[in-house]
Amino acid sequence: MCVKNGMAALSPLSVALLVAVTVGLAAAILAWRERPEPGATWLSALLVGQVWWATFLVFELEAATLPAKALWYDVQWVGVVAVPVGWLFFALAYTGYDRYVTPFSVAAVCIVPAATVAVAAAGDPGNLLATERVVRETAVGTFLDVVPGPLYYIIAGYTYLLGAVGSVPLLQLIRDDARPFRGQSAALLVGTAAPWAGSVAYITGAIPIPGLDPTPLVFVISGVAYLLALSRFRLLTLAPAPRRRARQLVFEQLHDPVFVVGTEGYLVDLNESAAETFGIDRRAAIGQPAASAVPRYDAVRDLADGGDKPRAIPIVGRDGRRPYEATVRDVVDDHDRTSARVITFHDVGAYLGQQQRLNVLNRVFRHDVRTETNLIQGYAERLRSDATDERALSVIDRSAGRILELSERTRTAGKLFDPTEEYASSPLPDVVDEAVADAREIDPDARVEVGRVPAVAVSVVLRVVLKNLCSNAVRHNDGASPWVQIDATVADDWVDVTVADDGPGIDPAEYDVLDRGTETPLRHGSGIGLWIVKWGVDHLGGRIDFDEREPRGTTVTVSVPVDRSGVPSTDR
Amino acid sequence: MANEPIRPSTPDGTAEQSRSHTTTPAAGPLRRVAAFAAGAPFTALVAAVEVAIATAALGVPASTAPVAVGLVAFSVYAADHVADAAGDVGSTPQRARIALRYGDQLMLAAAVSYGLAVALAVGAGPAALALVLVPGAVWVGYATDWLPTVAALVAPPGSVSVPRLKDVFLLNSAAVALAWAVAVVAAPMAFAGVPVDPTDAPTVALLFAYVAARSFVDVEVPNVRDVATDAAQGVSTLPVVYGVAGTRRILFGVDAVAGGLLVAVVATDAASGGVVAALAAGLVVSVTVTALADRLDGSTLGVAPDCSYLVAGAVLLAIGP
Repeated sequence: MCVKNGMAALSPLSVALLVAVTVGLAAAILAWRERPEPGATWLSALLVGQVWWATFLVFELEAATLPAKALWYDVQWVGVVAVPVGWLFFALAYTGYDRYVTPFSVAAVCIVPAATVAVAAAGDPGNLLATERVVRETAVGTFLDVVPGPLYYIIAGYTYLLGAVGSVPLLQLIRDDARPFRGQSAALLVGTAAPWAGSVAYITGAIPIPGLDPTPLVFVISGVAYLLALSRFRLLTLAPAPRRRARQLVFEQLHDPVFVVGTEGYLVDLNESAAETFGIDRRAAIGQPAASAVPRYDAVRDLADGGDKPRAIPIVGRDGRRPYEATVRDVVDDHDRTSARVITFHDVGAYLGQQQRLNVLNRVFRHDVRTETNLIQGYAERLRSDATDERALSVIDRSAGRILELSERTRTAGKLFDPTEEYASSPLPDVVDEAVADAREIDPDARVEVGRVPAVAVSVVLRVVLKNLCSNAVRHNDGASPWVQIDATVADDWVDVTVADDGPGIDPAEYDVLDRGTETPLRHGSGIGLWIVKWGVDHLGGRIDFDEREPRGTTVTVSVPVDRSGVPSTDR
Repeated sequence: MANEPIRPSTPDGTAEQSRSHTTTPAAGPLRRVAAFAAGAPFTALVAAVEVAIATAALGVPASTAPVAVGLVAFSVYAADHVADAAGDVGSTPQRARIALRYGDQLMLAAAVSYGLAVALAVGAGPAALALVLVPGAVWVGYATDWLPTVAALVAPPGSVSVPRLKDVFLLNSAAVALAWAVAVVAAPMAFAGVPVDPTDAPTVALLFAYVAARSFVDVEVPNVRDVATDAAQGVSTLPVVYGVAGTRRILFGVDAVAGGLLVAVVATDAASGGVVAALAAGLVVSVTVTALADRLDGSTLGVAPDCSYLVAGAVLLAIGP
């Protein structure tokens, strides 16, 4: 058998390249193993490209003849063009710009590299890649000295372009707050800058050995850098890719409406909830003066950045009129300049309602139930001395009845605050009829008149509201035959229902308390009926007005949005 | 849901996560090192010795082939042990524990080791590179799952099931034996840059058959140890299907074939006397291990078959080719 000992003949250059092959391939395997982490596949493609280039440069160096060297030189192009493509898409996927990594973009970016490989495979027709190839013997090895052709410069420029584009998102990471990402991106940039420096040195002729492209040699440095990034800085197990999307997602999916207003007062951005809640067309609104899109902008613009205690501002949106607390935050850039303000609206309706409910229930127990119990106790004493005292019996009976009624209404109020309750819609005439029937049951002598009631759909919560209003009007009327008139009108998707009576009128202190929303031991309402009306109207996002009638009586006007949940909507 | 109560899963009221588990006692540092060395590093050493013996048997010049094949063996087995660590807890608890604890470090070592093997192969030329890339290409194929995908494209799902090679009775051991034979016989020639001469073909063929037969025995003998776990997992091996006694008879038969091949080598004068003596010594060790298969303890049985190559290597060193 013939004898040829390969190892002994290896040139110093080849030995150095074999080190690059070792670290490069090891890093490629580790990267490949991390799939499907963002960027893993592309990083291994980049590293395999480096290994390929170094491998076939060794073959070129060790080949004995010019044709053999030229063959291996041409094969190297596959690796040469794979490196920048792998780098670009790795950087994009790894930093979370994966929307740019599509089959189409990959194909488009690969056109120039594929053309280069095709030219090399076809034997470089027209000397596009190399105008001249000579074998140059040096102390470090015998390689092909190539005089670059036009395509060579094109692919070189293209490589620099892809490299620069890929470095931009990574450079952003270097300034990141999170230490692991700074370490990762620093290692990656060293890994990329090293071959670039080699390539620049070659093209500018700064290499002491003429004709030698040191780029593949410098892959030793990049291989070590990538290995470090993978094993030490957990490059792919802790990739920053999801952060961009996560932050975007939080803004978009935030339940609270958010507006971003630039320093000049124009709307810069708004989230899904803002568009939905206030019925704003996002495309049209962005770029418009903030006052035209941000609700009550005049009231919120002057809120200091996290300063004053926020106050609830009633705003009419898609869900009717609801109380919002607005907070304003300045967006500050790296130079401490305010570039925009973020206005967040927080719907505090449920919170305020719960507060009022606790407040009122507290009063009911502390005051109303206690008063009735005192009465019962007192008259029970009288019964003890005179068991035939009919008056005492009837007082106790009425008192107990009022406690029972309070308890019933408390249950109704509780239902209004049940977050799991889903309210159906019902035609307004049906709702009115039920309330009227209820009132007639309380006092068969009552004259209840119903005016024109348009047949629109309303939430069944309005039934609770109207039943309470009608029964109050009948119950608290001291006349022989109480009179109640119900009318309804519709305008702009809102229903106004008026309940008028000829009773003694509601004490202004009662609805003043409703208006302020809080009761105190000295200023409180009586019973819970009016509160149920208020909570029901608040729940529907509506409003309520009280007016005195001439010559006597009260007119209560309830305005609530028409219920569109059962109707296919056209504008969403 | 976070607030969901933990429901007791047994009548005694304990939930799965709060019950005590029996764990195997942790080994001392020395035993851990021994357990590690008995895994991939030992396999790598055996592979290197096998290739060195094959180099002598083929009469090709010394090369980096034994080192490169050893490195590849290390990376393949280390990666395999890491990948199958959870499943190996029953059969090789010490090794599995190391693989679970130092998985990342072992994978780094495996990757660098494979990189080094490829670098050595690149230095030796295209043929050596192609040979060394085969295990890597197979690994990529396995890892990307393109085989089942292709199978699903060719045949509609459900009509034909494509089993994993690792689960097919006999074919699994045969495939491993063939892979070893290819690596051991081809590597010395590829790394030395020697083309197969028609006059050398009988030597190459005899050596190939011998290594394949011997490797088959080496793969099946440790299955005697794993017979219980394999049967429980539904994996078919010789001991599962034919019992320990039947397996011993079959393996003796394969060893007899290997012996016959050695006789053929002597008859055709295909290898030097020293090499034949070394291979014969290895065969004797193999027969002995097969005979004692059910009486050796688990960890010994894991390394004993491969020791035949170390004996053969020692003999070759002592008497020269």
